Amino acid sequence: MKTLDVFLGTEKVEFHPFGTVFWKSKKILLIADVHLGKIGHFRKHGSAIPADSIQKNFEKLTEIIKKYHPEKIIFLGDLFHSSLNYEWKLFEKWVEKQTAEIILIEGNHDIISPLNYQELGIKTQKELILNKFLLTHHPEERKGYFTICGHLHPGFKLAGRGKQVLKLRCFYKTENQLVLPAFGEFTGNYWVQPEPEDKIFVCTPTEVIAIN
Amino acid sequence: MNRKELLAIADHWFTNQGWKPFPFQKQTWNAYLKGKNGLLNAPTGSGKTYALWVPIVLEYLKQNPDYKTKPEKGLKAIWITPLRALSVEIAQAATRFAEETQSGLTVGIRTGDTTQKERAAQKKSMPDLLITTPESLHLLLSSKNYPKLFKNLNAIVVDEWHELLGSKRGVQTELALSRLKTVAENLKIWGISATIGNLPQAQEVLLGAESEALQNSTLIKANIQKQIEVKSIIPQSMEKFPWRGHLGLHLLDEVVPIINNSKTTLIFTNTRSQCELWFQKLMNKYPEFAGEVAMHHGSINKETRLWVEQAIRNESLKAVICTSSLDLGVDFAPVETIIQIGGPKGVARFLQRAGRSGHQPGKASRIYFLPTHAIELIEASALQKAVAKKAVEDRIPYLQSFDVLVQYLTTLAVSDGFYPKEIYPEIKSTFCFQGLTEDEWRWCLNFITKGSQSLQSYDEYKKVEIEEDGKFKVNHRGVAMRHRLQIGTIVSDAMLTVKYVKGGFIGTIEEYFVSKLTPGDVFTFAGRNLELSRIKGMQVLVRKSKKKTAKVPSWMGGRMTFSAQMSGLLREELYEAAESVGSNSKKRSPEMVALQPILERQQLESIIPKQNQFLIETFKTREGYHAIFYPFEGRFVHEALGSLLAYRISLLSPISFSIAFNDYGFELLSDQEIDMQQVLDNNLFSSEFLMDDLYKSLNATEMARRKFRDIAVVAGLVFTGYPNKLIKNKHLQSSSQLLFDVFRDYEDDNLLFQQAFRETFEHQLEEGRLRQALERIHSQQIVWKACQKPTPFSFPIITDRLREKLSSEKLEDRIQRMLKYLNK
Repeated sequence: MKTLDVFLGTEKVEFHPFGTVFWKSKKILLIADVHLGKIGHFRKHGSAIPADSIQKNFEKLTEIIKKYHPEKIIFLGDLFHSSLNYEWKLFEKWVEKQTAEIILIEGNHDIISPLNYQELGIKTQKELILNKFLLTHHPEERKGYFTICGHLHPGFKLAGRGKQVLKLRCFYKTENQLVLPAFGEFTGNYWVQPEPEDKIFVCTPTEVIAIN
Repeated sequence: MNRKELLAIADHWFTNQGWKPFPFQKQTWNAYLKGKNGLLNAPTGSGKTYALWVPIVLEYLKQNPDYKTKPEKGLKAIWITPLRALSVEIAQAATRFAEETQSGLTVGIRTGDTTQKERAAQKKSMPDLLITTPESLHLLLSSKNYPKLFKNLNAIVVDEWHELLGSKRGVQTELALSRLKTVAENLKIWGISATIGNLPQAQEVLLGAESEALQNSTLIKANIQKQIEVKSIIPQSMEKFPWRGHLGLHLLDEVVPIINNSKTTLIFTNTRSQCELWFQKLMNKYPEFAGEVAMHHGSINKETRLWVEQAIRNESLKAVICTSSLDLGVDFAPVETIIQIGGPKGVARFLQRAGRSGHQPGKASRIYFLPTHAIELIEASALQKAVAKKAVEDRIPYLQSFDVLVQYLTTLAVSDGFYPKEIYPEIKSTFCFQGLTEDEWRWCLNFITKGSQSLQSYDEYKKVEIEEDGKFKVNHRGVAMRHRLQIGTIVSDAMLTVKYVKGGFIGTIEEYFVSKLTPGDVFTFAGRNLELSRIKGMQVLVRKSKKKTAKVPSWMGGRMTFSAQMSGLLREELYEAAESVGSNSKKRSPEMVALQPILERQQLESIIPKQNQFLIETFKTREGYHAIFYPFEGRFVHEALGSLLAYRISLLSPISFSIAFNDYGFELLSDQEIDMQQVLDNNLFSSEFLMDDLYKSLNATEMARRKFRDIAVVAGLVFTGYPNKLIKNKHLQSSSQLLFDVFRDYEDDNLLFQQAFRETFEHQLEEGRLRQALERIHSQQIVWKACQKPTPFSFPIITDRLREKLSSEKLEDRIQRMLKYLNK
C-alpha cells in the first residue's frame, strides 16, 4: 500500500488507497461513507446479494486501524446505509475491540437512533470544528474554515490517448474543501468535473496518485 | 353440430363479407377443430386472425348448443401479442366475427395500458377472449386463485411468435404455457409466425420439447407469394456522400418525391432518436407537410400512437416516420411504399417491413433503401439479392434462462404458492429448461428462499418462505408488491414520464438521457422542442420552446447485427466490387456504379479485399495507433473477434486497447504501436484454445457485465421501480455494475452470474459463426497494409463511439502514462 502525504494548509495529512485521511499531528483517522448494512438491507428486501461480501468492510476497517493506531476515529457520515439490521451486531463486536474514541458526524443515511450509538460509547453530532477545520457530511463552504466531508462518493474519469478511459475513486480537493471517497464496498461513484485549480487524487487498490 | 355444419357457419360469414377463405385458413380451422395444436406460418395482413379465431368460436358453439339462451361465462381463449399496439386491431377483428355470428362471445384487452378500473372489472367477470402480452399473463398468474380463471380455457394463440421466440419473453411464454397446460384440460396451443429460418424449431419451442402437445400438432404454411420491389435511393453526386454517419439526412430531398407519389409511406428508422431527427428536419425544410406527416415510436404516449395508427387507416397521412414500433401489426391498407433508412441488419426484418406495403391482393410491396453512408451502398446491393433468395435468418431460442425461471417461481409463490414436486415436471417439459438438472432446480429453490446455497447465521434474507406442508409461498406484502412491479423481461433504463408543467403527458424517456440535462436545456421529443423546467420524482416537467436547435435524446439499445446469411451476401458483393473497380462492366448494379469513386479511393490507399484475402490496415492518427481488421462477419462476431485478438496480443506484452466494431470489421486502438508482424508470426487468428481465450477475454471486457445488467433485473436482484409510478425506493437503489463486481468477487459460481457469460457466448458471440470465421481467415491470404491515413472502409469503424476496453497493463502504470501524456 502506497499512501500519499498532502498538506491541508499547514497540516500534514496522509491519504490512504482505502480512501481515508490520517491527521498525523492529532492522530485522527477520518473515514467517509462506509454504508454498513447495505447488503443486509438488500437481502432483507429480497435481493440475493452474496452475504459473504458483508465481512469485507470490517476487514478493511480493522486493517486501516492496525496501520495507524489512531486515538480518534471520525466517521464523516453515512456509516450505516439504512435502518438497524444484523450488521449492527457485527459492528458492535468490531467496536468492542477498538481502543480509540469513535465519533460519528451524521449523514443523510444515518437514520439509526443516536441512542444506539451512545450505548456503544460513540458520540454522534451534526458537525465538528477542530482549529480551522470543519468536519461535516455534506460539502459546505464556510468562511474562515477548511471543510473535510464525504457524501459525494467522488470518482474521476481519467482519459488518455487511444480513447482510453479509467474510472477511479478519488479524493477531491478544492481551495477550501476536501471530499473523501466512499470507504464502503458496494457503493457507487459520482464523477466529478474539477475546475482547473482543483486537485484530484485517485485511488487504485494499492496506491494514491495525484492527478494534477 | 358436426364439423361440417360448423364450417358452414364460417363459410357463410366469409361469403357475406364478400371474401373467400384462403386454403391456409380452412386448413387451420380443420386442424383446430380436430383438437390439434400447431404453428401457422403466415405473414402480417393475410387474415391470420380469422384463421384461428374462427375455429375457437366454432368450438364454443359446438360445446354449448344453447349458446343463445344460456351463454357459458368465463375465459375461453387467450391471444398473446408481443406489442400492446396490436391488441386493438385483433380485438376489432375478433369482435366482428363474434357478433355477426351471434355467438355472444365477448372480447377484452389486458395490457400495460389497461386501467386499474378495467382490470378489476375483468377480474370479476372475464371476457371470453382475452388479448394480452406475456407480461400481463404472468401478472395474472401472480394473482390469487388464478387456476379458477383459466380452468375452462380452450385455446391460447401466440401471435407473432417469431418476435417472442428469440427473446426472454419467449421463455416467459413457454413457462406460462407449461402451467396453463396443467390447469386447463382442454387446452390447444397455436402459434402464428412470420417466415424465419427455423420454423420447425419454433413449433417445438412453443409446444414443449418431446411433449404430448408437440406430438399432436401440425405446421401450416400460408404460402402467400408476395412480389417485393427493392430500390436504393442513390444520391446524384457521390461527393456529398458522407463516409460515415448514421442519419441519412443528406438524402432528405430525395425522399420527398417518393412521399408525394404514394398514397401513404412508412419511413422506418433504426432508432428513436433518428426518428425524431428525421421528423424535425423534414418539417423544417418542408413545412407544407405539416399535418400530413406524423411520427410513431415506442416512447410516445399511447393516445398519440393510436391516433397515428388510426390516421394511417383513414388515409389522412402522407407519411409516418417510425421505428420498429410499426414493424408488426395488422393491415394498414393505404400504405403503398416503405422507406428503410440505414441498414435493417436482417433480411427477415427487411422483408417484414416491405410487407407493410401493398396489402391489396395482387399488389406488389415496394421498399426503398436509403443508405446512410457510402459503404452501406454495398449493403443495399446485398439486400436486393437476399430478398430475391428469401434468405431469412433463424431466431435462436434461449436455453436455461435462470433469471426468468426464478422470476416465474416467485410469481407462483406470490399468488397461491407452489409445491416443487408439481412444478418441476412442468418446467422440465419446456424447451428452454429441458436440460434443467435436479441440482440446478435445487439451486433455484434455494435462491428464492435463502438467497444463497448455504444457510447463513443471522441472515435476514426475505423472499419466498417454505410453509409447514412444503408449500413455497410469499407472505410478505412488500415482497409481493415489489415482485409484481418487476414482472417482465424487457429491461430498460429507468423510464421517466415527460409532462408539461401545466399538465399533459407527452411520453416516457430514459433516465440516462435526462441525467445529462440541466434545467433550461432544450431537447427534441415527440417532434417538439421542449425546455426542461425541472425533474420531480419520476417526472420530467417541460415547457414548449421556440429555440430551433435542440439536443436529441439518445435511446439505448437498437444496436443490431448482421445475420450470417446477410454477412455472406455482403462479402459476395464486396468481392464483386473488388473485381469491378476500374472496369466498365455493364453487369454492375447502380449501387456499385455510384460507389466507384469511393472504391477507387480505397484501392488507392489500401486494397479492396478479394475472396482469398483478409485485409488488415494500420495507421496512426492524433488519437493513437489504429489497426483495422475486415472479416465482414457482422457486429457480434467482430465484437468477439476483437476482444479475442486484443486478449491474445495483450499476452505478448503489457498493452491497453480500445476496441470498436461494426458490421464490416473491427478496430484495435492503442496508445502504443501494435507489432503487427508479431501478431502474424504468432498465428493469433488460430481457432485453438478458442473458448478458453474467449472466456478470459470476456472477463477482461464489459460484454458479460452488460448481459448481467438485464439478468439482475429479471431475477429481482435490482429493483427498478416502474414507469409513471413514484415508489419509495427505501435505499434499494444500486447499479448492476456494482452487483456484478460483488458476484465476481464473492459468488462466481452463482448460476445467474454464470448465465451472463453463457448468454454472451450463445446469443452474442455465436461461437459457431466465430469458429467458421476463423477457419475462413485461416484459409485466406492475410494482406497487411500500412496506410498513411484512415481509408474509406475504416472510417465508419474508427468514428464509432461505443467501445470495449481491454488491458494487460498494471493499473498504476497506465495512470502514470496517461498523466505523462496529459502534462505534455
